[in-house]
Amino acid sequence: MPISRFIFFSAKRRFAHASNLLPRFGSSKRIQSCGYTKSAKNNYYKKPTGHPVVNVETQASRSSGAYIIPPILLGFGGLLAFLHYNDERRAVKIGKDSYTGSDTAAAPIIGGPFTLVNSENQIVNEQDFLGNWVLLYFGYTSSPDIGPDQVRIMAKAIDTLESKENLKVLPVFVTIDPQRDTPAQLRAYLKEFDPRIVGLGGPVSAVRQMAQEYRVYFKKVEEEGDDYLVESSHSMYLIDPKMKVVRCFGVEYNAEQLSKEILKELKKHQVNA
Amino acid sequence: MSLEAYASAKRDEIHTDVLLQARQACYKARDAFYSCLEKHSDKKPTEIGSVGLLYPTECKPSREDYVKNCRVSWVKHFDRQYCKTKRTQRLLDDKETRRGV
Repeated sequence: MPISRFIFFSAKRRFAHASNLLPRFGSSKRIQSCGYTKSAKNNYYKKPTGHPVVNVETQASRSSGAYIIPPILLGFGGLLAFLHYNDERRAVKIGKDSYTGSDTAAAPIIGGPFTLVNSENQIVNEQDFLGNWVLLYFGYTSSPDIGPDQVRIMAKAIDTLESKENLKVLPVFVTIDPQRDTPAQLRAYLKEFDPRIVGLGGPVSAVRQMAQEYRVYFKKVEEEGDDYLVESSHSMYLIDPKMKVVRCFGVEYNAEQLSKEILKELKKHQVNA
Repeated sequence: MSLEAYASAKRDEIHTDVLLQARQACYKARDAFYSCLEKHSDKKPTEIGSVGLLYPTECKPSREDYVKNCRVSWVKHFDRQYCKTKRTQRLLDDKETRRGV
């Protein structure tokens, strides 16, 4: 019990509590507790020479105190040293790699190689589109309303860009419903909008792989045998001549806004290049 | 299935019911049906369409025309959209009658 009282007192001392808050404890106890803290500090450097009272009565607590405090201080110092070293290490790393091409951080890195079949039954891969600006849309021919609207907007924007600004952007329609959208079907469907639109389809696995690369979500819903709708994120991707996705446009863009935004991106690219 | 096999497979059937003309006909029939619904909105709806859309017997012929001209999945899609817009409209209009609720 005296040991616990000493620890209690020393704690009180450390937090600078006035010991006269507890007047019932006699002055003898105060001296003893004072000696406890002093002797602990002394212990760190040299052999204890303190008060014989303290020696006799606080032997157990002092030795345990001596064993606890230096490791704690050492541990704390070690932690500080580690943090400092870590900061130094990280600082050098950041300074070395300079952030080149900071506009790559503006958009997520999507896109990748693909191999599909176009509406003329020819095999097409992404190499064939290198050197062109491409406006890519993932849709399907059996879409009730959004699909045709988006393709119409795409066709109109491409037309505006070509006639007004003389800028060639290649429109590409990739079907996310390859089982029903055969090349012949794509040809018939896209012909009604614009002859320039390239229709791409292929086996389900190839389409799924490309959709995964471009982070396109699509899912069959309302399935009744052969009659189903495909839910998807109806968005268009603008791709630069190096086959890198520059921007993504959602359904909220109409034809004029789309052509204006594409023009902006093209101008920006010319400035950078 | 390899790509070459897919490319060479002769699949020439075209679903004409999604091409332009069919789409136009479907939209026209759909609009005719919905305007009939609006016109007879005071009558009690007794017939049931798809996805819970109710309509009165006066609109039965236009409903049949609509279903004939459009694919079943399209009918369901448009009906669901119509119900949703009706519901939001009702919520917006009801502000005066349901005060403090």
